[in-house]
Amino acid sequence: MILKLILKEILHRKLNFILSLLAIISAVAFFVSFFTTANASKRETIRLTRDMGFNLRIIPKNTNMDKFWTSGFSERTMPEEYVNRFMAHKKFSYAHLTATLQKQIMWQNKRVILIGIASELEPSGKEKSSMSFKIEPSTAYIGYELAKSLALKNNQEVIILGKSFKIEKCLSETGSNDDIRIYAQLSDVQSLLNMEGEINEIKALNCLCLVDENEDPLEILREQLALVLPDAKVIQNKTIAVARERQRQMMDKYFAFIMPFIVLVFAILIGALAMMNVQERKQEIGVLRALGYGSNKIASLFLGKAIIIGLIGAAFGFIIGNGLALSFGPDIFKVTAKMIQPLYKLLIWSLVAAPLFAALAAFVPTMIAITQDPALTLREE
Amino acid sequence: MVNLEEVSKIFRTRHGEVKALAEINLNVNEGEFVVVRGPSGCGKSTLLLTIGGMLKATTGNVIVNNNRIYKIDERKRAKFRAENIGFVFQMFHLVPYLNVVENVLLPAGTVRNESLNTSKAKELLKRLHLTERENHKPSEMSAGEIQRAAIARALIIHPTIILADEPTGNLDPENAVEVIGHLEEFHRDGGTVIVVTHGNMADQFADRIIHLRNGSISE
Repeated sequence: MILKLILKEILHRKLNFILSLLAIISAVAFFVSFFTTANASKRETIRLTRDMGFNLRIIPKNTNMDKFWTSGFSERTMPEEYVNRFMAHKKFSYAHLTATLQKQIMWQNKRVILIGIASELEPSGKEKSSMSFKIEPSTAYIGYELAKSLALKNNQEVIILGKSFKIEKCLSETGSNDDIRIYAQLSDVQSLLNMEGEINEIKALNCLCLVDENEDPLEILREQLALVLPDAKVIQNKTIAVARERQRQMMDKYFAFIMPFIVLVFAILIGALAMMNVQERKQEIGVLRALGYGSNKIASLFLGKAIIIGLIGAAFGFIIGNGLALSFGPDIFKVTAKMIQPLYKLLIWSLVAAPLFAALAAFVPTMIAITQDPALTLREE
Repeated sequence: MVNLEEVSKIFRTRHGEVKALAEINLNVNEGEFVVVRGPSGCGKSTLLLTIGGMLKATTGNVIVNNNRIYKIDERKRAKFRAENIGFVFQMFHLVPYLNVVENVLLPAGTVRNESLNTSKAKELLKRLHLTERENHKPSEMSAGEIQRAAIARALIIHPTIILADEPTGNLDPENAVEVIGHLEEFHRDGGTVIVVTHGNMADQFADRIIHLRNGSISE
């Protein structure tokens, strides 16, 4: 009977229902569009950062920087064990971590860069796709230019500094000095160069550990690193990724600032509409009371209506929110449209939160409906 | 059937206290048709709502069917009202978004009674000459038809008592006679009727006429 009364009343007082529904749809659509776009922005920032390569390079402290920037790697070395120290230090945040040893050598009458790469280390419990090659022992990856000039093929056996290697893959063109590199496992390269236990660079990604606006994250990182790795120094690629991350954080701040106002405004609107509904139905409530309807049943009429509005509003709000994110997100938030994808967990959240929100907004009017004296309305004739 | 013992009702307003009922003593027997007459604002509606368990008396006892209705909690009182008392109001108070059958069956939402079904409602509407209006909403009906639908809503629970507040106040004489006639029919079947009115339309059927003035009664 209660559900029937709710549905019939909704059909009878369409304007009140439509306005309440619009309020819920607006609130949910705003939340969904903002959250979806912010999430897309976050994912794009992560992808952008990854695509740009490692953004933190830890090299031996006494590296000659002129030579470093000319050759692309340090001519000095540091202990391989530094990687473990870096990992053990809890204050560093990183996503991918790898140690390398690079040296320029002559091979088959060509000047090449031999690079040994250790397996990537990840913070415990996290699984991420590898940033570089997973190289098996006694295998090598050959840069494009090198492979082309020496007519090397996949699975071919080659001798490098007296040791046999199978070519796992000849790489495609990159347009950088990567095209004259030979990639092999770190331990193999250390052995070839008689540099066991030595490396000349630790690379890390996603040290975007942004601190307060007034603090320089690199300075803080350097201070921390000096304590752990005294013979190393750090270089950071200050890239647009940082700017993107700052932009995203700023969006989050705006969101945190605006959302309470939005919630409050729509809560007041829904509450006001519910209050109007109660006023309009005073005599109906009185009659229902006279017919023996108790407080719970009267409350169900109003809260049930609010919940129905919340459920319908959540579904439409989710669809419209995603539509808004796709239509306006790329322009407003400077994010690629294809990164904007519906977050279906938001639909579930909306279906739970919106009815709850609508019921809370209608709570005070419902209490007024329950507590108003039916005799007073029935005597008003 | 209905006993009022030293019942008074005082409303507290911004302009001070208003005594709507002044230490009223009243006894209405089972099967009696009582008319309470008095001018507007004399406390007639207050008296009726107090008897109906809708308005708690400030002092005194209200006993209906041997139940001190304001000594029981609100939930039990609502149940008692749903099972025993039929209300008819001057303004009809049908629910505007329900059709006549649905309005008549409204008490089914509170009373567990299998006989409260659509066929029973339609049978009752036939008796009240409303068969043609079964699926009409109140806005599509005349005042007389609406009031008869309200009487059907009151009758469907088989109440022991009907409390009618100015039931003919908004009706033309022809419809007023018909409505009073239906109340008389209920009375003839053994029901108790209390009608409060400022007119004399119901006098011819009344076993007793009580006059209410300034919250006090005289017979």
